[in-house]
Amino acid sequence: MNLRKAAEVLPFIAPVQALVLGVIVIPSAFVVWMSFHVSSFGQAPQFVGWANYLKILTDPAFLRSLGNTFLIVLTAVHVELLVGLGMALLFASGLPWRRYLLVAVLAPYAVSEVTAVAMWRFLFDPDLGPVTMVLQSLNLPILDWSFEPSHALIMVGLLTVWLHLPFTFVILYAARLAIPKDLYEAAFIDGATRLQAFAKITLPLLGPAIVIALLFRYIFAFRLFSEVWLLTGGGPARSTEVVAVYLYEEAFRFNAFGTAAATAWIMVLISMLLAAGYVLILRRETAADAY
Amino acid sequence: MRTDRLYIGLGKTLAVGLVLIWSLLPIVFIVLSSLKPGVEIFAVPPKFFFTPTLEHYVNLWEKWGTFFQGLFNSLVVTVGATLLAVSASAAAGYVCSRYRSRFLTGSIFFLIVVRLIPPIVVTLPLFPAVNWLRLNDTHIVLIVLYATFFVSLGTILMRTFIDQIPRELDEAAQIDGAGRLTILRLVILPLAAPGILAVAVFVVVYAWNEFLFAFIFTATRAKTAPFVISEMIGSIDGVDWGVLFAASTAQLAPVLLFVVFMHRYLVAGLTAGATKG
Repeated sequence: MNLRKAAEVLPFIAPVQALVLGVIVIPSAFVVWMSFHVSSFGQAPQFVGWANYLKILTDPAFLRSLGNTFLIVLTAVHVELLVGLGMALLFASGLPWRRYLLVAVLAPYAVSEVTAVAMWRFLFDPDLGPVTMVLQSLNLPILDWSFEPSHALIMVGLLTVWLHLPFTFVILYAARLAIPKDLYEAAFIDGATRLQAFAKITLPLLGPAIVIALLFRYIFAFRLFSEVWLLTGGGPARSTEVVAVYLYEEAFRFNAFGTAAATAWIMVLISMLLAAGYVLILRRETAADAY
Repeated sequence: MRTDRLYIGLGKTLAVGLVLIWSLLPIVFIVLSSLKPGVEIFAVPPKFFFTPTLEHYVNLWEKWGTFFQGLFNSLVVTVGATLLAVSASAAAGYVCSRYRSRFLTGSIFFLIVVRLIPPIVVTLPLFPAVNWLRLNDTHIVLIVLYATFFVSLGTILMRTFIDQIPRELDEAAQIDGAGRLTILRLVILPLAAPGILAVAVFVVVYAWNEFLFAFIFTATRAKTAPFVISEMIGSIDGVDWGVLFAASTAQLAPVLLFVVFMHRYLVAGLTAGATKG
């Protein structure tokens, strides 16, 4: 690209790059610096090397928050995938009023985490909630999420699935609609059963969409904050914290910005690792259509 | 064969019923409960027929005036963030679509990588910086933050949508002596309306609903509606469920209607956004 052309392009791309650099890239780079220092109000920051990282990696509260996060991400995202896949196949099999059903399924996308927490707290209120009442009348165990940490994590998982199922569903449904009909016609003429058609046509052709949906959801679910914060606040006794809640507490409650910064970089690194495969695929594609 | 078909039909109906209950029941419950007389909210079995009342909305108005200020703040922040994100993304998406160069390929790759950074990470340095700039508790902070976290997706979406507009149109306008900015404004943007709407849906839903940044960067003057609702949930010892439902319904209804109305663009944006970047 020659200089004249560059001068033409730059003003158009500058606002986006300025926002991203100023708000995300430079602050994130500064977080690296913060993670190697301790500072408190009125004191000059002091270089401490890897001490902050060592401190959190040996902090049982951090390790538990990491464990909780992985547990929720792995279960919620895979449940989302299975249910989303089932729904995509159901919709693709031909339903009446499909447009209205689609809108109904998308509805939770519009709901804020805060409102969703209000809804689910009410539905599952251990004393009065309608779902609790139904479970009790059927002699089923109820979710005692305000006392029992494992039940609280189940609640967070349910809430996460509810809020994000629309995303997973739309990705898979679009991919399923993109599979040409004649593939199935040809298979059925050759005497394939429904199950064979699913295993030999649907599943392999949905492969890329499944990978994309999974990676996106891993990365975004890993940031989980509001649901936990508003449901349990991380308690009782920090037993239901996730990594983002741990970070928040370190920084804004204990005023320990050094260890919070170290936590932040561990979050970034894990997100990058999760995405490494995806980014590699993508770079090949953007490079391919650049010429 | 006929019984087979009957079973499949029954199974499908059942599955659709479950899907609808799962997706809509929590929403229906909260909206209906906001209109129920106080004592009937927790009636067993739940009442679906009752004489609706606005008492909870009246209570909300009388006891939680800050909530309505919160709604107004949410509106200001949402409109601001959407305008900023859409215009920045449209400009960048346009040149990314029309020029091919190593620099632009690199910057798109860079935008994709940036999406991987969790928003909570930047709060650590930005919190003192925003205080120092005396911008804490202002609309501006939230507008800039919300817009920034969607310009990378926005740029990629706009590029995808603008790619579908024939270049001949640009060239014709260029021959008529139009500059790049004029072409973008008068030729590209009207034709890229679906892309603009797709980006707008994302930003509107995000900015209207966001909690973390509002919680960290605002306190009183710029407090958004989700933040006020979180305080209602927080005062749970004597939580007034009726008022909480009224506030939740008031916060949810506009954005839900918006998404229902724009679902076509949401679906287009979600699929394009996931597969192209």
